[in-house]
Amino acid sequence: MSPTEVLSEAFELGFTYTRSTGPVVGRFLTGLRDRRIEGVRASDGRVMVPPMEYDPDTAAALDDFVEVGQQGEIVSWCWVSEPRKAHPLQQPFAWAMIRLDGADVPMIHCVSAASEDQLATGARVQVRWAEETRGHIADIACFELAEVAQ
Amino acid sequence: MAQLAAVIGTGQTRYKTKRGDVSIAGLLREAAVNALEDAGLGFEDIDAVVIGKAPDMFEGVIMPECYLADALGANGKPMLRVHTAGSVGGSTALVAASHVQSGTFKRVLTVTYEKQSESNAMWALSTPQPFAVHLNAGAGGYFAPIIREYMRRSKAPYDVGIKVAVKDRLHGARNPLAHLQKPDITMAEVEESMMLWDPLRLLEACPSSDGACAMVIAAEDAVDSSAKPPAWIRGGAMRSEPTMYAGREEVNPRAGRDCAADVYAQAGIRDPRRELDVAEIYVPFSWYEPMWLENLGFAEEGQGWRLTMEGATSLDEQGDIPWNPSGGVLSSNPIGASGMIRFAEAARQVRGDAGDHQVAGAKLAMGHAYGGGAQFFSMWIVGADKP
Repeated sequence: MSPTEVLSEAFELGFTYTRSTGPVVGRFLTGLRDRRIEGVRASDGRVMVPPMEYDPDTAAALDDFVEVGQQGEIVSWCWVSEPRKAHPLQQPFAWAMIRLDGADVPMIHCVSAASEDQLATGARVQVRWAEETRGHIADIACFELAEVAQ
Repeated sequence: MAQLAAVIGTGQTRYKTKRGDVSIAGLLREAAVNALEDAGLGFEDIDAVVIGKAPDMFEGVIMPECYLADALGANGKPMLRVHTAGSVGGSTALVAASHVQSGTFKRVLTVTYEKQSESNAMWALSTPQPFAVHLNAGAGGYFAPIIREYMRRSKAPYDVGIKVAVKDRLHGARNPLAHLQKPDITMAEVEESMMLWDPLRLLEACPSSDGACAMVIAAEDAVDSSAKPPAWIRGGAMRSEPTMYAGREEVNPRAGRDCAADVYAQAGIRDPRRELDVAEIYVPFSWYEPMWLENLGFAEEGQGWRLTMEGATSLDEQGDIPWNPSGGVLSSNPIGASGMIRFAEAARQVRGDAGDHQVAGAKLAMGHAYGGGAQFFSMWIVGADKP
């Protein structure tokens, strides 16, 4: 008796979706298009960037928008020594938590730097905008070390 | 059930084709805030949150319970998601009720939703599979042959579905939240609408809606915060069966009959048509009214269509047992919420809170949902009188 051939077939299933951003995240993204970074003040006074629609402690709807600086400092980071195609930068770079001036919580973005030893907690960075902005988090092309960028 | 529980607040959004002005979280938030205001409570008074929505593929949001925690004031509290296809709005309400009936929590917020405009739920229902013919049928295509079999068995006239389509839209015209507003609809207009899945025409099918529905369910000693009277939960039941098995009765599913028998026994109901004042029943395609009239024991098998044609289920014809005075799923269908809307509308009726679609003096009401291939059922009975 010959062994049974067990059949298998590749199977790809895809759907397209729309995502409405709403009045808070939508305002943040619209700000990026205009090369401006906006956060929102939470019930405890902290400025959150990116802004949240609802307060994490009280659940109140948040709408006290605050423009923050385009410079900030690295809180922590993770060095990517061998970027892959899907990464935002094709040179070695860092994923970093960056606390912008005027913000109380860090946001995650990428930092372009020549080598890992240029990075430190507290290192100053500043925004490098994309050549064309469209209302997307990638309107911030990356952050660069502030001293190097000047 | 060990402890008494009651609905002390309901909240809904207006149902629409597209709510591009809000995020998914913002959509739920409207219903949740409306329910809390109706209950006279704030997020800080809530002990646990139970949410429900249709399958993830409908909107592409995986683990919505994580994404929605801030918007629903659930941080630091238990939060649970229920998932039973189209019946999820009903089973979510029952899970929330059991959180209170078990004595575990005093006040539970429950919210269900769908934002159909940001996805394509119809085709997400009908995905191609390897080694199988792709029917590309959607929900209507699945149910059409089952309806055809009902018509054959019952010898019902061809226009029963048309009558249901008109009746529920006339009801919906009384409800400012209803998606379809068709106060001038006629039998001829329905009959002339495009045949989508023979024998179902366009106007015999539910719309595709964005919207959310919420309720606050409270324990017996916590019902007084609302200015309105509580809707006491007199019984709740769920039943499931596989989509397909040899000998399955698809026209009159056993899970539906058993679920109804269970919920009636809990509420002490022997004759649902006589003892209930109103029912909100999941009818997404017109012919499911006569089919469920039989499945739920409002009529003998083969006779449900007579109630529909005599006007027994119509508010406008002063029927003795109005079905779907809110306009039903045929007037608004944010899928994940559609079952909860039935449950919440039943509660609104016995609280005297149903506005222009109020059934005068309603004391005892039924809410019903079904989902999948008519294989998940959830039902509850709510009453103005404390059991």
